[in-house]
Amino acid sequence: MHDGGAATVADLVEPGRVHRRVYADPDVFELEMERIFGRAWLFVGHASQVPNPGDYFTTELGRQPVVMTRHRDGSVHVLFNRCTHRGAKVVNERCGHAARMTCLYHGWSFDTDGTLVGVPMPEGCAADFRKEAFRLARVPRTGEYRGFVFASLARSGSSFEDHIGPIKSNIDDLVDRAPDGTLAFDLGVHRYVFNGNWKLQVENVLDSYHVPFGHASTVNKEGVQFARREGDTSGAQVVEADQGKTAQSWKGRRSYIVGNGHGWTSNTALDDGKRSSPAFDAYKRVLVQRVGTARAEHILTPRLHNTLIYPNVSIMGLNIHVRVIKPLAVDRTEINVYPVRLVGAPDAMNFGNLRLLNVTHSAASFVQTDDIEAFVRAQKGLRCHAPEWVDISRGLGAEEPDRELNATRGSAMHEMVVRAQYKAWIGYMREVA
Amino acid sequence: METAAAAAQPKQAACAIDRAVFEAFLFEEARLLDMRRFRDWMALFAEDGTYWVPATADQQSPFNQVSLFYDDRDLMKTRIDRLEHPRIHVQTPPSRTAHLVGNVIVDEADDAKGHYVLSSTVIMVEYRDDQQRIFAGRQIHTLRRNGDGFSIVQKRVNLINCDSAFEAMALPI
Repeated sequence: MHDGGAATVADLVEPGRVHRRVYADPDVFELEMERIFGRAWLFVGHASQVPNPGDYFTTELGRQPVVMTRHRDGSVHVLFNRCTHRGAKVVNERCGHAARMTCLYHGWSFDTDGTLVGVPMPEGCAADFRKEAFRLARVPRTGEYRGFVFASLARSGSSFEDHIGPIKSNIDDLVDRAPDGTLAFDLGVHRYVFNGNWKLQVENVLDSYHVPFGHASTVNKEGVQFARREGDTSGAQVVEADQGKTAQSWKGRRSYIVGNGHGWTSNTALDDGKRSSPAFDAYKRVLVQRVGTARAEHILTPRLHNTLIYPNVSIMGLNIHVRVIKPLAVDRTEINVYPVRLVGAPDAMNFGNLRLLNVTHSAASFVQTDDIEAFVRAQKGLRCHAPEWVDISRGLGAEEPDRELNATRGSAMHEMVVRAQYKAWIGYMREVA
Repeated sequence: METAAAAAQPKQAACAIDRAVFEAFLFEEARLLDMRRFRDWMALFAEDGTYWVPATADQQSPFNQVSLFYDDRDLMKTRIDRLEHPRIHVQTPPSRTAHLVGNVIVDEADDAKGHYVLSSTVIMVEYRDDQQRIFAGRQIHTLRRNGDGFSIVQKRVNLINCDSAFEAMALPI
């Protein structure tokens, strides 16, 4: 910080507004890397990305390269992707298979659990050199829920169970749709970048208020969006036909928060009774065979549009995928969007989902491109020193408890979810380790 | 043994149609995109035509891996409706593009069936909102003879950076 210290950070967030420096100040970003991405439970990847022993997947936690591996005993490891000798990044491919991970520089090689197994010319090592002391460093803590692998770069802090507990059922909502009860992240990844702060994307995933105007170019003259789910012939009524006003059904959407910055938005009103296609019908038959009619009906009843597991991953319930938010710099962010394969579903169903995801979330999609433009424009606007504050006050005080869901709810046209994210943000940022 | 000069000759398929005819078709297609005449561009595609930009190198299929674009005529129309919408924010201001198409090779020709496969190098420079960027790759056109002209059965663009992270892309390449 320009004037340093946690007290100053605390001043950047007020009940219905946040200071522009939250998005625009490189010093705030550095502190976020330390106190949020250096501490929080972060989504790393899915266990299906390393299905067999020797498989690896590389990514970043904050800005630090890590490699997720599958060891011979079946365990998944998350290791810092940095040679313990002179520091080179060891594994350079995005994913692959290798019995040993060998550093390109001097040839040190590591087992898939990080154990140092080979040092060329060992006779040159110091007399007290012990290989055990030079294993690839493990990230301090990892946790997994139904294949979703998380890690924390801090040795202490809230437990994985405390972090994920309140939002577990949102993961279930997606995973249960697979007849085999598991997902596979093996359909590739959409990657896009933008010149904007990472939180612009985080805030956006639960923002239903922006859709009627921000995505105006995706609706037809009747105010209806294109189909986004296999089996639908059209999408949601976003605006009223020929009036340009937000549709009543869209306005009726709700948001929910459950602590830790997590939250979700309620389902998109679609005519589920008419949802039908050869692929969807075949999928439904398989699901009914596996889990019975009543359970299948429950699973196929949409409850969620989008879920945020703060701070770096969202799950889209509508056209299913998992989105990972990767901060690169205060004004630069990469997003990775993984389609999920419902294991056990007919190929045609999974391919249908995949094709629709190209249309909504590729770098060349109809939906995401207008969001990216909004993020870029926000980052530019926030260079202005006046006004200093960003308003997030819509619906302040209108929140109400939802006892059935053990959550707090509000209108999805409000900004309760953003305020909840900043409550979590300030919690991380203020706390000195 | 082939001489060096012979080896350097592209292996063109035997074809009754002069390569210049195919080149003129590709140049016109690129011109329509540069002029933002998207509906005329779409009209070049067969009813069962597809426009495909894979997201991985050597991608075998659009059905088991993500693609940057995989549009049939219906999706092409939705895309073009959006490009013409007054509130397409990612085209405010609109992009300007310049395509360069060259190194055209007739890879397959079946005059009896009217089936042709062309490969060519494409470079598209795009300028928008104070930023200029370059797309480059090899494009594969599968054509079907249609009267005196051709319809595109598939246009596939293999970008050299297909698996990189992209800034927002609004226009077909």
